[in-house]
Amino acid sequence: MKKIIATLAFVVCFAGIALAQDELSFERKQAIDSLALEKVRDLSKYIKIVGSKETPFSEANRVIDRAEELFMSDAEIGVSSLSSNQITYYRVRKYFEHLMRLNYDRVEIEWYNIEYVSDLQRQPDGTYVGIITIFQTFRGYDREGNMVYKDTTKKDITVYVKRKETQIGGRTIGFWDVLLGDMRVKETTNR
Amino acid sequence: MLLALGLLFAANGFAQTIGDFKMDETELYAMTKQMGQFMRRFNYEEDQFGYKLNPKDPNYRSNEMRRKSLPVLFDQEKYGTQTDLQRYFIEDVTKGDSTYMTFLGGRWFSEVSTTFKYNGKEVKVMLFLAVEKEGLGSKWVLTNVYFSEFNKLFPTGEMADKEKHFLHPMSHELDFMNIYKAFQDPDVIEYYASQNYHPDYLTLFFYEIKSGKLVFQHVDAVKFHVLQIKDWYFEVSWFNRSGLNSGWLMSNVVYMPEKEKTNLIKFYQP
Repeated sequence: MKKIIATLAFVVCFAGIALAQDELSFERKQAIDSLALEKVRDLSKYIKIVGSKETPFSEANRVIDRAEELFMSDAEIGVSSLSSNQITYYRVRKYFEHLMRLNYDRVEIEWYNIEYVSDLQRQPDGTYVGIITIFQTFRGYDREGNMVYKDTTKKDITVYVKRKETQIGGRTIGFWDVLLGDMRVKETTNR
Repeated sequence: MLLALGLLFAANGFAQTIGDFKMDETELYAMTKQMGQFMRRFNYEEDQFGYKLNPKDPNYRSNEMRRKSLPVLFDQEKYGTQTDLQRYFIEDVTKGDSTYMTFLGGRWFSEVSTTFKYNGKEVKVMLFLAVEKEGLGSKWVLTNVYFSEFNKLFPTGEMADKEKHFLHPMSHELDFMNIYKAFQDPDVIEYYASQNYHPDYLTLFFYEIKSGKLVFQHVDAVKFHVLQIKDWYFEVSWFNRSGLNSGWLMSNVVYMPEKEKTNLIKFYQP
């Protein structure tokens, strides 16, 4: 509900804005950045829930459905590690299912308080594209409570921002639609 | 000194405690996390905390701030913090107002090291790409390719050898009956072309892909060649390491007057 109110507030905030959006003002870009960050925070939250061994299977599947809705339908997740630069590609659902099946007794997934948002660039069809970088630590424990695996990953997430219109009470309202695209997951030097 | 420079891009006390672990974020703040951040730091379009500066902000693109922040963008393991080259570079790029890097400013190229399978065997291929404007925005396009097998096809021949292979100027009167000589030795067929002829490796590359002989496997590494800054050429590479000097950093910096850049640019984009 909070999310709907926030989105509506954003829509109302920008209601009546001219259709031509060739150059975004600094303030407008900041507002779009916030909207994109909200999606990425949702994604972070979903990864944590699905990764947790305490999350029941049915709940994890429901959350995976929500996570899939954040992404474009053809989005892929490309994962590499320190030991191999080679990228393994996953579809969003497969990535989450892989996360859910990791063979640890307990896992800890935490996010650093760093969210780096790139400038938005337009692609040929006019859609804006940006990248948001976040960092995650993952720790896997065995039955005895020993940490048996640890990594820190950098996640570079594509964000597509498109100007759309909707009818509210007979009025045409413009709004920014944000969807996540391909995500590159790269292990960083152990910290 | 290094610590002080790194901390310029890292706020104090960036740490959070999770369970038994204290996660220190200082290094991650200091890291130049995206190539776009490299540009923003290069131009001083974001502050030391990574927040975008409003173009109306007096510090936006401030040369005074750039003088302090630019050393952090060098690979300190190679360049240290106080080398003459570094000082000269910083002094030069911060004295005028034309030395900012822009995404759509051209003259910067991406070099993507890749692995392909060529006739079933793994081979290394270097792809060069540039940002090109199109429609309402822009996109990355392939501009050239380096594959040793292609270069072997067109070795730089000796002039004496080249002078032996030509069609004399009256060949037309003989209905080019002598043209068969050009095709006798495929290794030197190009000697029969104009002196302005240059092999188009990208076309060869596309041909090999289309004919199914060259099959993409994976990307190995990415770096950037920047020729946008007046009288300078530098490379930006990814440094995945601990400490306050990591991420996208200047790995090779060369003073290069503008007229000397032409040939290098032709290599990336013939």
